[in-house]
Amino acid sequence: MDVLREFFQLASNQSNLLMEAFWQHVEMSVVSLLIAVFIAVPLGVFLAVRQKGAEPVIGSTAVLQTIPSLALLGFLIPFVGIGTLPAIIALSAYALMPILRNTYTGIKGVDRALVEAAEAMGMSRARTLWRIQVPLAMPTIMAGIRTAMVLIVGTATLAALVGAGGLGDLIMTGLNRSNNYYILLGAIPAALLALLIDGILRAAEKKTTGSSLKPMIFVITAALLIVTLPYGVQQAMPEEETEEIIIGGKLGAEPEIIISMYQHLIEDQTDIQVELEAQLGTTDIVFQALQNGDLDGYLEFTGTAITELLGEEPVSNDEDEAFEQAREGMLRTYDLVFLEAMDYQNTYALAVTEAFQEETGAETIGDLTAYEDDITAAFTFEFYDRNDGYPAIQETYNLAFDDVQTMDAGLRSGALVSEDVQVIDAYSTDSYMREYNLAVMEDTENVFPPFNGAPLFRADVLDDHPEIEDVLNQLGGRITEEDMIDMNYAVDVDDEAASDVAEEYLREAGLLTSSDE
Amino acid sequence: MIEFNDVTKTFSGAAAVDGISFQVHAGELFVLIGPSGCGKTTTMKMMNRLIEPDSGSILIDDKNIKELPLQQLRWNTGYVLQQIALFPHMTVEENIAVVPEMCGWSASAVSGRTDELLELIGLDPGTYRSRLPAELSGGQQQRIGVARALAADPDILLMDEPFSALDPISRSQLQDEMKELQRTIQKTIVFVTHDMDEALKLGDRIAVMKEGRLVQLDTPERVTAAPADDFVRSFIGERQSVWQRQAAVLPMEETTMNISGDTSGTAASAETSLEDVYSMLRSKQVQELPVHAGGKTYLVTDTMILDYVYDVQRGKEAGDGRSS
Repeated sequence: MDVLREFFQLASNQSNLLMEAFWQHVEMSVVSLLIAVFIAVPLGVFLAVRQKGAEPVIGSTAVLQTIPSLALLGFLIPFVGIGTLPAIIALSAYALMPILRNTYTGIKGVDRALVEAAEAMGMSRARTLWRIQVPLAMPTIMAGIRTAMVLIVGTATLAALVGAGGLGDLIMTGLNRSNNYYILLGAIPAALLALLIDGILRAAEKKTTGSSLKPMIFVITAALLIVTLPYGVQQAMPEEETEEIIIGGKLGAEPEIIISMYQHLIEDQTDIQVELEAQLGTTDIVFQALQNGDLDGYLEFTGTAITELLGEEPVSNDEDEAFEQAREGMLRTYDLVFLEAMDYQNTYALAVTEAFQEETGAETIGDLTAYEDDITAAFTFEFYDRNDGYPAIQETYNLAFDDVQTMDAGLRSGALVSEDVQVIDAYSTDSYMREYNLAVMEDTENVFPPFNGAPLFRADVLDDHPEIEDVLNQLGGRITEEDMIDMNYAVDVDDEAASDVAEEYLREAGLLTSSDE
Repeated sequence: MIEFNDVTKTFSGAAAVDGISFQVHAGELFVLIGPSGCGKTTTMKMMNRLIEPDSGSILIDDKNIKELPLQQLRWNTGYVLQQIALFPHMTVEENIAVVPEMCGWSASAVSGRTDELLELIGLDPGTYRSRLPAELSGGQQQRIGVARALAADPDILLMDEPFSALDPISRSQLQDEMKELQRTIQKTIVFVTHDMDEALKLGDRIAVMKEGRLVQLDTPERVTAAPADDFVRSFIGERQSVWQRQAAVLPMEETTMNISGDTSGTAASAETSLEDVYSMLRSKQVQELPVHAGGKTYLVTDTMILDYVYDVQRGKEAGDGRSS
């Protein structure tokens, strides 16, 4: 009962967020489905009539189907950027195969005698298709469309990872915060949406008896209106003459809090409007978005810039020297500018439960080698893979865990608390360090490079808006590790809005000039 | 009139139709018969250009069908299929309306024509016009198939083994109706079958085909009485003897109730051979022939004779002694 109450409590608290995400999801799904229908149905009909070359074409749509959805989404970013566009392209691509195959099979499945009768009655090919073959193939075509629709609505939850929004945003938030209620808040409406659209399609199909395709045309027209009307209204509204920049952030509460600070500061002290693309994705996705111009800036960490983006070895474990290396490298290699770094470090750490620490007395990473055969580690994909992550640990401490599982960042702490695993990689400022009383294993060999967060902007953006630099540099050297954990805790555990938490900090620090409230 | 001049059609090297020439007269029921693979269906499908000949020419009313607009040709040649092939998603009325609609008939004209045709084939328009094909029996479906083919009042009706998918009772019923219908509508009908009984019963003339060639083209009685070769003879089988054996008398009481008091113009007596009575019917182009027998005058139709022959044949096959 408590579970239900808490779920509905969250649903009503976040009803605006939920409605927005739901609508984004509807739009994305319907647009993708329409595109897929408009491509696959005519193509299927064409292939069935032409009789040749069908298998290779259908086969290639099947190949599209086998590409993991996340891979397809990531692959599209360099070409079409982030947001709704890559999501719609990927979702449409997924929907092609079932619709194409069913259309082809449906048309081919129409009794040869009926086609011959139509031909003998003097019907043209087009008329035979429209009056005889398509109506008779309709149940099969509709079955394909409905399969595609369920596929789309489900897969669209992943579109949150490329900044397309939708119900996936809620699921990602839930995963990041290990909060099942958020996951359900995204998953249940997605399932209901699939059922709803399926119901509409089935009703339209039932109405489509005989040679009339009217109900089907009605549904398609209605769908077109639903997805195009909001755009039309938007177009009709006079665009405001304000300069706007877009700032992005990786997954998690912390980037969102910090970029919210950027937004508050810039909007408070300049005429520039800031749009946020929070929770955009992993480093790769966000960095690509910055390079291809979808973003103007985002929060990056010095350690990540050096090892991941520049592929260099850290020259020093001193944070100032590390910052210099990152700044110079990014400017030279990518024409990107690091502004001043903040105080706290969000470095990697290996964390264990306090109970485990008491039991074993392990204090440092080196101490874990004694237990390497007995314990299971859970690492994020990124940590497991990157040079300054697990590989560096293995090399420096000669530590090789017998069993390493890779999982999503949001799931690690849960796995640790449930004792499925004994050690995880953690970010030192994450809220669960406090929430679950985790203990950090000391990095005596300084394997992890300094990870100071700083705004990373394209040089041309700063040329156009030089005032941003001074505004954001006010954060330089501020925000301690303690501050950051507090703020992360407020968002992750207390469910406060990142923007509010950011504003409160800035106000207390006296950085906001306006005195409203 | 349909005229074939040295028409050949080859499918992947094998000649399906091998240089045949013949004429179908206006208003006759012309049967194409032969074993499967003999080219009879190919021959028929060349008439509405579902299949194009490789060489030779096909004329309808002295016009080469290649030079006719395709649609016009097909609207003027109704087509009835073995598979019946009513459009399952359309009602009876919509099925019948397909060609008239394409021809640009007004809605009221189409509706009137539908009623007329349903009456013609003996189905009550009020009951049947908005039924779906699946709600009809096989015999009813094929009646609608015929109505659909006749919808736009074509001059020619092509029928491709139209009754072979039906049960024996419906088949025999539809054959009778077809015979009646033909009297009423007087279309040129080309009828493909592999059933000799059907051919003998329906055909004004029968074209027997074998391996793409025309073996014999003649009236039913001539085909049975004088088969052109052993192939036709074997195809006719026992029927020949039936005709010959019945040559003596038609048992009038058994076959007809139609008695005329008028004995004038009596053309035949009971002693006239069955074949001659039949030939007279054909040659005089009359529906009934008065036959004098036992002091009464019976009106005999060709259907009656064929039915009788057919029954005798069936009875013989079944092994009972009806062939008195």
